[in-house]
Formats: sequence, structure tokens, C-alpha cells
Amino acid sequence: MELLVDIFGYLSIILHGITIVAQSMTLGGILFLVFLVRPFMHMLPQSGDLERRIARLTIWSAIGLIVAEVAGVGLQVAVVSSTVDLSFFDVMQAPFAIAGTVKTFCALCLIPCLSRRMSIGLPGALLPLLLGVIELTAATFTTHAYARLDHNMLLLFVEGLHQFGAAIWIGAIPCFVVALSKLQDVNGWRMVGARFSRMSMVGVASIVVSGAVMSVFYIGSLQGFYGTAYGVMVGAKIAMFLALLALGLGNLMVTERLRKNQDASVIRLRRFAEVEIGVGFTIFFAAASLTSVPPAVDLTADRVTLHEIAVRNAPAWPRLTSPDHDELAISQAQAQLDHEAAQRHQDAALAVVPGSGVLPPRNAEDIAWSEYNHHWAGIFVLVIGLLALLNRAGIRWLKHWPLLFLLMAGFLLVRSDPEVWPLGQEGFWAAWRDVEVAQHRFFVALIVLFGLFEWAVRTERLRSPKAALVFPLLVSVGGAMLLTHSHQISNVKDQLLIELTHTPLALAGVAAGWARWLELRLPGRGGRIAGWVWPICFMLVGVILLWYREA
Amino acid sequence: MSLRHRFASTVVGVACALASVAASAHAILIDSTPKPNGTLSAGHVQMMFKYNSKIDQHRSRITLIGPDKREKVLAIATDSKSNELDTTADLTPGTYTLRWQALALDGHITRGDLPFTVVGK
Repeated sequence: MELLVDIFGYLSIILHGITIVAQSMTLGGILFLVFLVRPFMHMLPQSGDLERRIARLTIWSAIGLIVAEVAGVGLQVAVVSSTVDLSFFDVMQAPFAIAGTVKTFCALCLIPCLSRRMSIGLPGALLPLLLGVIELTAATFTTHAYARLDHNMLLLFVEGLHQFGAAIWIGAIPCFVVALSKLQDVNGWRMVGARFSRMSMVGVASIVVSGAVMSVFYIGSLQGFYGTAYGVMVGAKIAMFLALLALGLGNLMVTERLRKNQDASVIRLRRFAEVEIGVGFTIFFAAASLTSVPPAVDLTADRVTLHEIAVRNAPAWPRLTSPDHDELAISQAQAQLDHEAAQRHQDAALAVVPGSGVLPPRNAEDIAWSEYNHHWAGIFVLVIGLLALLNRAGIRWLKHWPLLFLLMAGFLLVRSDPEVWPLGQEGFWAAWRDVEVAQHRFFVALIVLFGLFEWAVRTERLRSPKAALVFPLLVSVGGAMLLTHSHQISNVKDQLLIELTHTPLALAGVAAGWARWLELRLPGRGGRIAGWVWPICFMLVGVILLWYREA
Repeated sequence: MSLRHRFASTVVGVACALASVAASAHAILIDSTPKPNGTLSAGHVQMMFKYNSKIDQHRSRITLIGPDKREKVLAIATDSKSNELDTTADLTPGTYTLRWQALALDGHITRGDLPFTVVGK
């Protein structure tokens, strides 16, 4: 079990992200029901059906929350009890396990509370709200606010406000999309749109106020913002938050036009809201990945200066030739172990045991190896973006461009982890214990999948409109997962300087995915513009990769 | 509220959001006795790990790896400061590693190795 602690740590970040999504949708659903659908029941023609649909969506979100919470807490309990030799019941008394149990219990109780029988009257509104408050309070006890040395009460409140803001705005958008598709008349769209705009504003205000307070306590200074991994991840969240606000502003203008009885595109409202869901959920995963880095204010040493960032990102010619595998630090360490073992007539130990938590050695050749990988990946993506752009411009035979993704996936599978099969000593299956290897393989699988789907769609082997959505969805997932990607390097500064490159990559990936989504889903000029945007985002990814340096 | 006023509010919101964060992070070691790659005198020694967060001491662990690579789990004091793991051991000269695993009160596990050397008095 000790060899699996790191991979479980990464899995717990993913599960934490899913938990935040499910929690926000559950709380958002409750708020949408209580403050939007039920007050307008007597004015909306299809209100009964809409109410049941929103309730069902909220119930499914609560079920998702139960599953994610049980899996997350279960994983954590299993790791603690096996590595510290404690009984299951002992670990279940830890604060995180108690909070998880309370959250699960609240989500369970919500299910009957949202049933048709319980939907009438004051108790039908008060009970779900009360359970939501208890669930939200318990959720704050698994945040860093509870473990801080000072100001715990203030930070717990602020954390609760932040999560409430995320729930009432982002968590309720799926309900808003359902309402827009269910309602058929302008009057209904007008009422729902206007009320949801106000709810969103409450959410934005809560996020901004709580975010400002937390930045004081967790970042503390401008250098903490750009000079630490925590600050950089917060920067990524802010960039996506601004994108959400821009989309929200677009929707606000539509609802204003509806309010003034002017012509407005409700289809644009729906499509923008779909993209808001995607970007919003990506923010939740960025929030979850913040759990793997210490607050900027605590990292007083090893901060990166602006000068170091400028030096690292100074333009240089891409590295297109690879160093020899035998020159890598891990190969040399393994050769030394093999030599010593041969002298003793024993089997040689592995230079690095995957999952042991001991970071592998690195030398200049390792850096050159990694830069070579990134630069060739950059060439692949740049060419893919260019071919997609030319295909969009009318060169039809270039529709096979997605096949380049398969070539790139093969290159990455072989080269990403030189210590692992087929190039290195570590076996294919044992290497799954290494977080970085597992993440690389996940990305390879993702690239193969979306490459194959897009090729099949473009060559009309797959004709379903839903099949076309696989590519944008998986590209967006890839971008979101890149935010959780980490390089196992002992030097904190080097790790951050790498993250400074990977974060824009992730953001460009998310933008590419959702722009392609809009191209497929949004008719008219908006969709056409989006069709030019996403290949450019791919080219941007290629340029950033070509710019990448590790020294 | 007019659209222009709402837009102005949004712009103010965007400006404030430049400081927006989510608050979750794990424990990091901010001080220790011994220091990483440091030296201790042989005998009955006190050892301390200090973190940036409150730690669940009962559910954390410190293992001493001796010069012969044998591992020994050390008892953690439960009456120390909320952000510390304190322990003691009888040490003879040699090269050691302290392998720690800390469970922060918010439920996040972190771990690390601290190599050090023990010299004769």
C-alpha cells in the first residue's frame, strides 16, 4: 500500500474535483428549485414538468455526491489505516471522515426531500435548504481553512461563502439549460432568464468577496501570486473566471433584450450556458488540484522571481535531436547498480522503485530528453492546428489531419518515461504506481480516443451528431487534466517554472475544446467564428510547447 | 438596475476577482530537528517536525531507517503543539533517514524523507 500512496493522492484530487462538481450541482439545484422554479409555478405553463425535471437532476447530483464522497473518503481511510496501522473505526473518527459522513448523510436525506410528495409547502423548501446548509458547513471542514493555525472561523465562513457562490452560479447552470430547453414561450424564458441573472450576480459577488479575503490570507503578496505554484493555479482559475464572466455578460445581454420584448437568440443563451458549465467544471478541477500545493504565503523560500521567469522563457531554437538513453541519470544509476550486483553475483535492484516517493535522479541529459519530447510534441500540434485551419478554409483532402494525433500518441508513449518499458528497466504494469507515468498514459489514451473519433467523424465513418461532440469534450477534459498534471522534480523552483508553461497549455486546450463545441452547436456567425478559433488555439499550444524549457 | 450599471458592477467584480482563490492545500514541513542532511549527537535524542498546518498526530507516522536499512516506527507524542510531530530515539553514530507521513486536519496526506547523520559525542 505504501507504494500506492502517491497514485492514491492523485486519484483523490480527481475524486475531489468530481465531489465539488456534484456538490455544486446538488446545492445549485436546491437553490434553483426553491428560489426560481417554485415561486414561478403559477405563472409558467409547463411548470409541473419543469419542477420534476429539476428535482430529478438534483437527486442525480446528490447520488453523484454520495458516490464521489464514499469513494474519496473510502480511499483516504484505506490509505491512512494501512500506512499508519490503525483500525477502520479509528480512522473514521478523523475530522475528514466525519465531515465526509455528514455530507453523505445530507445527500442521502435530500433524495426523499426532493420527491414529488415532499415538494409542496414550506417544509418542502425549508428541509432541502437546511440539509444544503449542513452539507456546505461539513464541506468547509475538509478545506485548508480548518487546518490553518490562525483565523479558522473567519476562513471557514469565507470558504463556505466561496462554495455557496460556486453552487448558486455554476452549479445551477445545468438547471438553467434544462429550463431553457423545457420552456417554449418568450414569457417563460424572460422570467427564468431575469431571475437566474440575479442569482448569478449573488454567486459572482460571493466568489469575488470570499476570493479577495482568501487571497490576503493564502497568497499575501504579488510575488506569492506569480512566484509560487499556488499563485499560478489561482491565476488559471481567474483566467477561466473571466471567461465565464464574458459568457455570462453575453447571456445577460440576451436576457435584457428578452425583458424589453426585443428579438433575442435563446439558442445562443443555451449554447453559451453549456460552455459555461464546461469551463465552470474545469475551474472546480483546478480548485481540487490546489489541494496538492501549499498556500503561497507558507512558501517563503524557493519562490521564483520575475527575472528567473524571463531568463527561462528567453527565445531559443527548439531541440530537435535527442540525447542517448544511456546518458540519462537513471540509466547511469541503473548501470552502476547492475555492475555492483554482478560483482556480488546477485540480482540488481531497480535504481528507482515506482511509487516509493523517492524522486528519480536528473542530469543535463534528462533535461535535454524532456525538452526534445516537448518540442516534437509542439511540432505535431502546430502542424495539426495548421492542417485543421487549412481544412476549414476549404482544402477537403486535409480532413485526415486527426490521424496525426495517433502518431503523436505513439511518440509520447515511447518517449515520455525513459525509465519505463519499452526503453527502461521498469515493467509496464509496475510503472502504473508512478503518478507521472499514470498521467502520461492517461493523456496518451485521451489523444488516441479524440484523434480516432474526430477522424471517423470527418471521414463520415461516424455520422451521429453526438459522435462529433466527443472530440471537443475529450480535448476539454485533457485541458482540465493538464491543470492537475505534475512533474516529479525535487527542485521546487524548476517545478514551478515548468508549471508556468503547462498552465497556459491547459487553458488553450480548454478554449480549443469549447470553441469546437460552439462551432458544432451554435448556428450562424458565432459558430463560424468559433470554427476559426479552435485551430488557432491548437497552434498556440504548439508554439507554447516549442517555447518550453527546463533549464 | 440598468444594463450599463450591471456591466459596471461586473467590471468591478472582475477586478476584485483577480484575487480569487480556493482554499485547499496540504501540509508542508517548515522546520525540523534534525535539519535535512543535518547532524545530531549520539544518544537519546529529541526530534521534531513542524508544519504549516494543524496535524492529526494520532493518525500520522514517523519511521526511522537505520544505517543497516532496518525500519523502526517511532512513537509520536500526543501532547506537542498542534502543528508538530515530536518523537525521540536512541541513536548510535551512522547515516539515518526519517520517513514521515503527516495527515493534516483537513484530511490531506503528505510524506517525505529527511536524511541525517549521527556522530559520536
